[in-house]
Amino acid sequence: MKQIVHTFGDVTVLNGVNFHVQPGEVHALLGMNGAGKSTLMNILAGVLQPVSGTIEIDGKVHTFSSPKDAKRAGIGHVVQEVDAALFPALSVYENILAEQIVAQKQISFSKTKHRVAVLQLLERVGLTHLSPDVSVQTCTLHEKQLILLARVLSSSARYIILDEPTASLSEEETKRLFAMIEQLKAQGVAFIYISHKLHEVKRICDRMTILRDGEVVYEGDVSLATEDIVRHMVGRQTEVRNERTRNISKETIFEVKQLYIPKTKTTVDLAVRRGEIVGIAGIVGAGKTELAESIIAHVETTGERIVRGEKQTWTSPKDAIEAGVCFIPEERRKQGLFMNETVEKNLTVRLLSNIAPWQWIDKRRERTIATSLISSLHIRPSSPTALVKHLSGGNQQKVVIGKWLQTNSDVFLFDEPTKGIDVHAKEEVFSIIRALAEKGKAIIYFTSECQELLHIADTIYVMVDGQFVKKVDALEATYEQLVYDMTGGGTN
Amino acid sequence: MKFLYKYGTILAIVIVIAFFSLTLDSFFTYANFSDILRSISIVTLVAIGITFSLIVDGFDLSVGSTVSLATIASASALVLHRQELLVALIVPLILGALVGILNAFLIIRLRLPDLLATLAVMYIINGVQLTYTKGFSIYNDMPLPEGGVAPGKFIPSFLFIGQGELFGIPFSVLLMLLLVIGAHLFLTYTKTGRLFYMTGENREAAHLTGIPVNRYRTYAYVISGMFAALGGIVLASRIGTGQVSAGASLLMDGVAAAFIGFSVFGIGKPNVIGTLLGSIFIGVLLNGLTMMNVPYYAQDIVKGALLIFALALSHMVKK
Repeated sequence: MKQIVHTFGDVTVLNGVNFHVQPGEVHALLGMNGAGKSTLMNILAGVLQPVSGTIEIDGKVHTFSSPKDAKRAGIGHVVQEVDAALFPALSVYENILAEQIVAQKQISFSKTKHRVAVLQLLERVGLTHLSPDVSVQTCTLHEKQLILLARVLSSSARYIILDEPTASLSEEETKRLFAMIEQLKAQGVAFIYISHKLHEVKRICDRMTILRDGEVVYEGDVSLATEDIVRHMVGRQTEVRNERTRNISKETIFEVKQLYIPKTKTTVDLAVRRGEIVGIAGIVGAGKTELAESIIAHVETTGERIVRGEKQTWTSPKDAIEAGVCFIPEERRKQGLFMNETVEKNLTVRLLSNIAPWQWIDKRRERTIATSLISSLHIRPSSPTALVKHLSGGNQQKVVIGKWLQTNSDVFLFDEPTKGIDVHAKEEVFSIIRALAEKGKAIIYFTSECQELLHIADTIYVMVDGQFVKKVDALEATYEQLVYDMTGGGTN
Repeated sequence: MKFLYKYGTILAIVIVIAFFSLTLDSFFTYANFSDILRSISIVTLVAIGITFSLIVDGFDLSVGSTVSLATIASASALVLHRQELLVALIVPLILGALVGILNAFLIIRLRLPDLLATLAVMYIINGVQLTYTKGFSIYNDMPLPEGGVAPGKFIPSFLFIGQGELFGIPFSVLLMLLLVIGAHLFLTYTKTGRLFYMTGENREAAHLTGIPVNRYRTYAYVISGMFAALGGIVLASRIGTGQVSAGASLLMDGVAAAFIGFSVFGIGKPNVIGTLLGSIFIGVLLNGLTMMNVPYYAQDIVKGALLIFALALSHMVKK
């Protein structure tokens, strides 16, 4: 891709970007949210047409006026939100061959004829155990992703865009995905790998291009030090913080005993003290989200919940919230935000009793509260009337968290709070969480990212298949040991 | 383009009024405008109800038959049972609320799709009012099957609702404006109104934020039923009889008004002021077409086309 320029309205999002990928390499495309990665890839995939610039494949200039043209030229795109690209009620088989079914001229479709091809594709992506006849809605996220990859391969793509492929994958699944990428690479397929996880990039990628504000700031080898990569992305040095200067009180503020998790059919005991950040580490599918949803009574469950020494019975999240326990969900667009509403309305939804004591909303007070939250959380754009759907992932996450900051919540449950947000926003989320702990709030932090827990947690529980297999002090924990425990190394 | 989304509806109303004023002599008169407002007052009441169900991301198709039911209930209370004003108002309102509770039960408890559940209820309610009247309208001095004539009649205080005037303005128009303003203030400036919108915007997020979403959804259907019932009362009072299936045509008008309202000022959400403008638009259009001697059956074609236009516009605004 040469000298690509693209604008949205008056905003130039790509300013003369040159981007080269060689056959058979894994090329990382890095940048903060809003750097122009998605726009560049949408141009490559034929979704957007650039204002100027050319795309050359094997020395031949191509103009893509639709995604179909890009596919024909050998560009494959595995989108981040795999569910959006699949037909949940149809079989694996039909999903993989969707494009062929659309393209073919005959009315009838022979299942047996293509069966061999489908089985071969499934084998190529490492899904040998999966029957092509099951419907896609029963598959795990990881399987869905590979099904999508198989579909891309079925149309003999030679350049495949992977957009945040490991965002929802566990370490084990990531390893398998990487093995598969290596294999396809050996067959001459090139990958464009978009990710926020730098350690993965260093593991799997050969070269990288870093975008900042629509311009290429680095192109070359991945052996660059992580600090330097981050510096290129952010454009300024992020401060390294010294952690754990907090005092954790002895007072247990929240405790669950024999709490039943319906999905995994297990029970769990968990206690958290004032000022403590408890990390729950587990791979995807270990039952972390299910545990969080059981704690706040989003699902029907049994067990004892004790808040500030007082036993409580909850039947809905409302009860949990009123007792001072709040939940910041992993799926923020689906579960945490009112996307078509303003930032202000999202931030004040839990404060309506304060700003509308007699039903009538005091708009001036609402505005004051919203602006103070926006400025203390550095939400961009800083306008309270901006629609949440127009915000970047990191800023949306700050809105979800901000909703709870002025409530009387004492216990905060964070489920994968850094998922899909850029390095800078991640640091901001961490400092918000630390500030909460310093104020004596208790934090339960669910994640599959061990580094994050080593960075922020005081105590780490390792969760495997809906049960805690280990509890360690974060100061004594090591990355390798945590990964080992999470992947079931410590159990049989 | 943006300007069109924002002010398209208002522009359309102005254009339609200008067009009819130029082509029809008797269109741009006080009497005619008073007539238009009077006729849209009922549609607007029904449409406000629909707007509430849309706000919580639901849908209520049963409003038309609820109007019919309420019309019959008022007429029956007055004519057949010789009741006073209060009963003739309260009975239909309670029936409207009950229809709303039934809808909410089917949609929330039994988890039926809102469109189909309220479609079924629409048929049931229509059947109920037909069964009750055996298909005959209720009017003053009507002969009774067991001999003699009906004991009661439409009393003047009841007829005032649909036919009376205050300060030279039809009472039903004042009632409509009062309720439009009231509903608008409620939805825009009160806590409960805000939570209605939040419930419709993202039910799961609302639930996780501690909003009792099922309670608000139930409220919305009950409000929808009660507004339809109020529409039925005004209708009965206006025509002075209890006609069977009188509300059937109001469903389409109400739905179209509410969806036209989506796009007013580019809001992209159901809102009461938009709904009022939507129903004014429909009212003006139908009035003008009638004056141009377009037969009523052909007007359905216009209404259907208008709804498609409104839906297309509301989708464009959403994008």
